[in-house]
Parts: sequence; structure tokens; C-alpha cells
Amino acid sequence: MDEEDLVAGHLQELRRGTVVLACLLILRRPNVGYARLDLLERGGFAVDANTLYPLLRRLEKQGLLRSDWNTDESRPRKFYQTSPEGSKLADLLGRDWDDLTTAIHALRDNP
Amino acid sequence: MNTLTDRYVDATLRGVPQDKRVDIERELRASIADAIDARVEAGTSSAEAEVAVLTELGDPARLAAGYADRPLYLIGPALFLDYVRLLRVLLAVIVPIASVAVLIAQLVKDGPTFDHIGTVVGTAVTTALHVAFWTTLSFAVLERLPAGERPVTGAWTPDRLPEVRESHRTGIGELVGEVLWVAVVVTALLLAPRLSPKQDAAGEPINILHPWLWESGFVYLLIGLLVVGLVAPFASYAVGRWTAARAVGAAVFEVAGPIALIWLAATDRIINPAFAPAMAWPDMTKWINISVIVVGVVAIGGALVKAGRRAIQR
Repeated sequence: MDEEDLVAGHLQELRRGTVVLACLLILRRPNVGYARLDLLERGGFAVDANTLYPLLRRLEKQGLLRSDWNTDESRPRKFYQTSPEGSKLADLLGRDWDDLTTAIHALRDNP
Repeated sequence: MNTLTDRYVDATLRGVPQDKRVDIERELRASIADAIDARVEAGTSSAEAEVAVLTELGDPARLAAGYADRPLYLIGPALFLDYVRLLRVLLAVIVPIASVAVLIAQLVKDGPTFDHIGTVVGTAVTTALHVAFWTTLSFAVLERLPAGERPVTGAWTPDRLPEVRESHRTGIGELVGEVLWVAVVVTALLLAPRLSPKQDAAGEPINILHPWLWESGFVYLLIGLLVVGLVAPFASYAVGRWTAARAVGAAVFEVAGPIALIWLAATDRIINPAFAPAMAWPDMTKWINISVIVVGVVAIGGALVKAGRRAIQR
């Protein structure tokens, strides 16, 4: 594995856990339908389509997301929205994230 | 709808359970169409956009496995160690027992003949394959059971630690064993012209082994090589400590005998051709040669493994 791959691998590991939190947070807003990938990317999380779609289904199965089909337009689209349980979990994960950030900062500032 | 998308969706749905297909198909088609629209707006042609989107989605089988939560491996890390340990134990126990059982059955049925070598080897291989296959299959099934239902060997505790491995110094018992073994083989070689179940027309015993071995004096070379192969166990007993150089030297002595035997087998100089027709099985010579070669290869392999272990020994 050359250095680029090594760095990429570690970055991927660092970000792997945050995608779920990001999804739960972004999907709090109503009617976030298509171009979810785009939203995530603009939010700073690059996720593969083939990871995201199964992930959303898994989160729905766990009760953290709700889904709805919007048949207004010519093409029916599936909309996901964070459920109340998902919102609670997002808060919990978010607090844990803040704790981690503080801890990392402390380690960095006090070598 | 474009054919490429149809094919992609169809390929993905194949790997998805029946009850989820309708929903996943609708969702997947919508997502693909949206992604294509986004790229077309950005300026690509719709055909290129379709190719790009589908390429990015990747192997439909992989996507389907993601949807279905199916593991993309046969046996996962949680079960793997148990699997390997169980496999080793089963192979070490079942294959020898089966082979010996078959050997005994054959001896009882047909008396001592060389055919049995082939039968036993065949049994050993078949048994090993069966053990490996069924064990692997069982663990692959276990891997796919819901996690709560898996039987597990229990958490590891320090009680399970094996003892520290003794240094590879040969004990006196092992040394005596090796010397006796060589003595038996050498005696058998020297007595072969005299002992034989078959006799020729003049009433003289037909040598099982090829007369060329005596005409060329090779039999004495062979005996010499076997004796020389004892240098390594002697050295291991006397010195006990190995360096890489000594390990290599010992290995050379240890493989000399098997190499000579393999050469004899390959050039068909082991069994007396006059003896072969007198035995029940016409292909016996060939099978003996094959067995000698296999045993020789195994012996060489064993010597190399031993040399490797000695060389890295502290």
C-alpha cells in the first residue's frame, strides 16, 4: 500500500462513523428528497451512492428514519425523514461527538 | 427507460429478497434517474451520464449484498479461529483413524500386498476432503445464522494457554528411535536378496528389489545416505543449539536420502521387474514408485520445515 492509499484508508476510518450522524442530522429537515448525495457532499461528507442507499434502508429498519413516497411529480420519489427516535439518537451522538472533540483538542494542545 | 438502467436494476434485484424487490426497484430507479438528471444539467449527454452513474454505483451484486445485509465472505473473523482449530483437530484425528481402519480391513480381506498403499492413500485423501468440506460448510451456515443463535466456544481465558515450547533439542529417546529405524531399513535392504515370498524356476528367491541396485553398488550408496541422515539427529542431541548455517547443513544431510529414493522411483529402479508379474497386481510397480515419490516429497518437506524452525530458533 503506497502512502496515498494509507492516508486514504485512515481518513475513511475516521469518517466512517460520522456518516450515520450526518444523515440523521440532514434528514431532520422536511422534504429533503433527491440529490441526498449532493447535500451530504456539500455538507463535507463524501459518501458513495452504493453505501448510502443501503444505509438509509438500514436506518429505516432500525426505526431511526421514516420514509414516504412523493407522487406529486411525474417521477415518484422516496423521501426519508428522521424519526423522533432518530432525532434523539442524533442528539446523543452529537453530544458524544462534542466530548470527543474536546478530548482530542486537549490531547493536541497539551502534548 | 434506458436499457442499461433496466439491466442494472434487474441485476441488483436478483440478489435481493423477494419481499423487498418492489420497494427497492422503485427507489433505485428514482435515485438513478435523479443522478442522471443532475449530470445532464451539468452538461453531459444523457447516455454518458447513465454510464457514469451506473459505474459509480458499482457491481450490482455488491449493491444487492449491501441491501440484503449479506456478508461477502464465507467465514468471518468471529468464527474463523474456532473453525481453523476445529478443522485441525478433526483432520488430525479422523484421517489417521480412517486410514488405519481401511488398512486393517484390507489386510484382513486380502492379506499383505502392496495394493493397500494405494487404497490407504486414496482413503486418506478422500476422508480429508470430506472432513474439510463438511466442516467449512457447517461454519459457513453458522456465519449466516442470526447472531444470537450461534453456538460459540465461550470466551477465551488464560487457562487455555498451551505450555511454552521446549527447545528442539533431540532427546535420547528420539535419537535411539531414529537410529533403530535406519538400522531396520538397512537390514531390510541387505537381506532383500535372500528374503522373498516368490521363487523363480531354480528355487532361488526372487529379489523384490531391482537387481540394478546391487550390480551398480547403488544399494550401498543408499545405505550410506541413510546413515549420513543420522548426522542431524546426533548433532541436535549433542549440541542442541542451532544456527542458520548448521540448520542448512543438517537439512542437506536429511534430504539426501529422500532425493536418492525419489530418483530411484522416477527411473523405476526400485522393484525388480522379474518380481512384478509374480504379484497379483500388474500396476504394482507403478504405484510403489508413486508412493515412494510421495513419501520422499513429504520427507523432504518435513526436513525443510524442521530446518526452517531450527534456523529461526533463538
